[in-house]
Amino acid sequence: MEEEIEAQISDLSITKKKTEAEEEDQTLIFLDSVDDYLILIQTLSSTLRQGWLELASARHSMGASRVNTALLSLNHRSAATKLDLHYPHNIDGSITKSPQFNLCKWTSTDDNNSSMEKENIEEDEQLKENINSLESENQESSLESSKGSETVASPHKTENNFQKERAKVLKMFGTLVSPKLRASQLSFETALETLVKVANVRSSILEAHDALVKDTKNLKE
Amino acid sequence: MYGFEAMTFNIHGGYLEAIVRGHRSGLLTAADYNNLCQCETLDDIKMHLSATEYGPYLQNEPSPLHTTTIVEKCTLKLVDEYKHMLCQATEPLSTFLEYITYGHMIDNVVLIVTGTLHERDVQELLEKCHPLGMFDSIATLAVAQNMRELYRLVLVDTPLAPYFSECITSEDLDDMNIEIMRNTLYKAYLEDFYRFCQKLGGATAEIMSDLLAFEADRRAVNITINSIGTELTRDDRRKLYSTFGLLYPYGHEELAVCEDIDQVRGVMEKYPPYQPIFSKLSYGESQMLDKAFYEEEVKRLCLSFEQQFHYGVFFAYMRLKEQEIRNLMWISECVAQNQKSRVHDSVVFIF
Repeated sequence: MEEEIEAQISDLSITKKKTEAEEEDQTLIFLDSVDDYLILIQTLSSTLRQGWLELASARHSMGASRVNTALLSLNHRSAATKLDLHYPHNIDGSITKSPQFNLCKWTSTDDNNSSMEKENIEEDEQLKENINSLESENQESSLESSKGSETVASPHKTENNFQKERAKVLKMFGTLVSPKLRASQLSFETALETLVKVANVRSSILEAHDALVKDTKNLKE
Repeated sequence: MYGFEAMTFNIHGGYLEAIVRGHRSGLLTAADYNNLCQCETLDDIKMHLSATEYGPYLQNEPSPLHTTTIVEKCTLKLVDEYKHMLCQATEPLSTFLEYITYGHMIDNVVLIVTGTLHERDVQELLEKCHPLGMFDSIATLAVAQNMRELYRLVLVDTPLAPYFSECITSEDLDDMNIEIMRNTLYKAYLEDFYRFCQKLGGATAEIMSDLLAFEADRRAVNITINSIGTELTRDDRRKLYSTFGLLYPYGHEELAVCEDIDQVRGVMEKYPPYQPIFSKLSYGESQMLDKAFYEEEVKRLCLSFEQQFHYGVFFAYMRLKEQEIRNLMWISECVAQNQKSRVHDSVVFIF
C-alpha cells in the first residue's frame, strides 16, 4: 500500500515536472514571439519613415506637378499584390486557430500575369527543394553545379518580372522617373512584407499565449 | 560692356530692374534657413515666415497647416510679383518674361493629359496646376484623345503651338507617348528661348546663353539617369537632348549609350565645369546629384546680378525664388515627418 502511494506520488511529481517544463517552453516561445514582434515593429517604423522621406525627396527633385495624388489612376485594374490567408493543419490533422498570412507580390491578372502567381510559388518551392537537396544529400560536384545554376536562374527571372511590374506601376508618375521615386517604391514594398511578418508573428504570439494559459491552468489543477 | 545698353536700357527696363533687385534682397538668408531648420512644427515655420515677406500670405492660414499649403502660399507670392512685372513690361521684356513661364505651361498640359488618362476629375487637376502656367483653354485639354487633337483643339492658340511640330502623331496618348511629348516640348521650348535670347544680343545673350546651356546639360543628365533600365531606346533618348549646351554634340553621343550612373559620371568628368559637381558624389551614388546641380545653378544665377542692364536678372530671380520655395517645401516635409536630421540633404543656401 505504501509502495503504491509512493509510486503514485513519484508519478505525480514526474507529471508535474513535465508540465512545468512544458510551461517553461511555452513561456520561452511566447517571449521569443514578443521579442520578434517588437523588432519587426521597429523595423516597420524605420522602413516607413525612410519611404515617406524618399517620396518627399522625389517630389522635391521631380516637382510637385509630377508627384501628386491627382496622378493616381482610377482606372479599373487587378490588384498588383495579394494577401492569402489560410489556417495550417496540425500534426494530428486538425486545423489551427491561428491564421497564416502569405503575400503574393506583383501578381495582377492583367495580360499574362495570371501565370506569374503560380510561377512565383513554383519557383519558391523549387528553390527550397534545391537548397534542401544540397544541404542534406551532399551530391557530386557536377550535379551540384547544375542544381546551383538552376538555383541562381530562378531568382533572376523572378526579380526581372518584379522589376517590370514595378516599372509598370510607377508609370502613373511618368516613364522617366527619378531613382528616388523608385527607392521610395522599394521601401514601401519592404514595409508591406514586414507588415505581413508582423501579422504572422502576432498570430504566433496569440497561439503561444493561449498555450501558456492552458498549461498554467493544467498545472494549477 | 557689350554695346550701349547703359545708355538706353533704363528707358524701358530701369524701373523693373530696380524692382527685381529689390525682390532679390528679400530672398531668405542662411540665418533665416537656420532658424527654419530648428522649427519643431509647421506652425513654428509659419511663425518664422511671418517675419519675412511671406508673412501676409500665411498669416490667415488656420492650423493645422500642411506642407502643400505653405508651398501654395509661397508660390502665390511669386505669381503676384511676376504679374506685377509682366504688366509693367514693354517689348521685348514682356516676351522674355512670358518665355520664363512656358516650362510651367508644359508641365500643366502634361498633368491635365495624364490625369485625364487616369480618369481623374478635371477640376481636381486644375487645382494642382502651377499658376504661372495657366492659360484660358487649359480645361479643354481633357477632351483630346491623341496629340493631333490636343494641338488642333487647344494648343494651336497657345504659345506652345510652335513646339508641337516635332511630336504630332495620331497615336492614342499613353504613358510613354506623354513622357516623350513632355520632353520633346521642353527641348523645343529651351531651343526657342535660346534663339530669342541670342536675337536680343548684348549682355542678355551672353548671360542667358550660359544659364540656358546649363539647363540643357542638366536636363540631358537627368533624362539619361531616369531612363536607365526603362524601355526608352538609345535613339529615343538621344532625340530628347537639346541641340545646344556644353555637352552638345559629343557629350550627348556618349550619354546616349550610358547604362549606369558611373558611366554618366565618366562622361561628365571630361567637362571641367561639371567636374566639381561629380567629385562631390561617391561612386554609384546619384542621391546628392540633384543638390549638387541646384548649388551650381544658384551660383550661376547669383552671378548674373553682378552685371547691369540685361534681362538675365529677371530669369535669375524667378529661378532663385523657385529654389527658395523648394527649400521651404523640403524643410516643411522634414519637420512634418520628424526627420530634422535630414533637413540639410536638400536645402541650398542662396546667400
